[in-house]
Amino acid sequence: MATSSKFISEWWLQRVSAVVVAAYVLLVLALLLVNGTPNAAQWQALFGNVGFKLATLLALIATAYHGLVGAMHVWPDYVKSRAVLAVLNAYSWIAAAAIVLWAVYILFGMK
Amino acid sequence: MADTPLAKSRTRPVYRNIGFGELRNYRLPIPGIASIVHRVTGIALFVALLFLLAMLQMSLKSEAGFEVFRTIIWGNILGKIVLSGLLFAVIYHMVAGFRHMIQDANKWLDLPMARSTAFAVFAISVALTALVVWRLC
Repeated sequence: MATSSKFISEWWLQRVSAVVVAAYVLLVLALLLVNGTPNAAQWQALFGNVGFKLATLLALIATAYHGLVGAMHVWPDYVKSRAVLAVLNAYSWIAAAAIVLWAVYILFGMK
Repeated sequence: MADTPLAKSRTRPVYRNIGFGELRNYRLPIPGIASIVHRVTGIALFVALLFLLAMLQMSLKSEAGFEVFRTIIWGNILGKIVLSGLLFAVIYHMVAGFRHMIQDANKWLDLPMARSTAFAVFAISVALTALVVWRLC
């Protein structure tokens, strides 16, 4: 961590993103528990709703950030090789970027 | 350590440079298990999310894609086990995360509460996962 203020904002963002993802997960679990298994039409109608699209995108952006910060904090506790850590960090950045870009494509770009 | 009566009366195990044979006696306390499972589920979900996005894309692309997911992936016992495991990982990571954030606020930090809430995280996660899987079967 470069500065303590960076650490504190990262600490808070990790928790804010966690709450965003948790709210979305609880919403989806509630929908599944109330409605049971959806059929293709119901599933695609749910993801056709603009509000649900935006909620899904927000949740996936929060997940990508949360996972990136989490991975970059957890791996150094177990992996001591700088080269391996560099590979793991590169993977984490690429995965986080891929999650966001792919989510935009699936939700707003796919025909 | 001096051979005092007190030291002799205690039969507490001492571990130095433990070997594999002693590992089974060296149990991680349940709050420690809760913590490492939180980390493992977090990393697993970060990796698995890309596969979940691939399945989401397929399920939304066409009705046939949705049916492939429903009948071949969720309809297969192996697929069901893997997806139920990922569902447990999501739910566990969330419930354990709530506990960690409550601990961030300096609550539930004494040993009895740390133990009982760690146990509760496992119990709640298993129960909620079972409920959702049961509802989807």
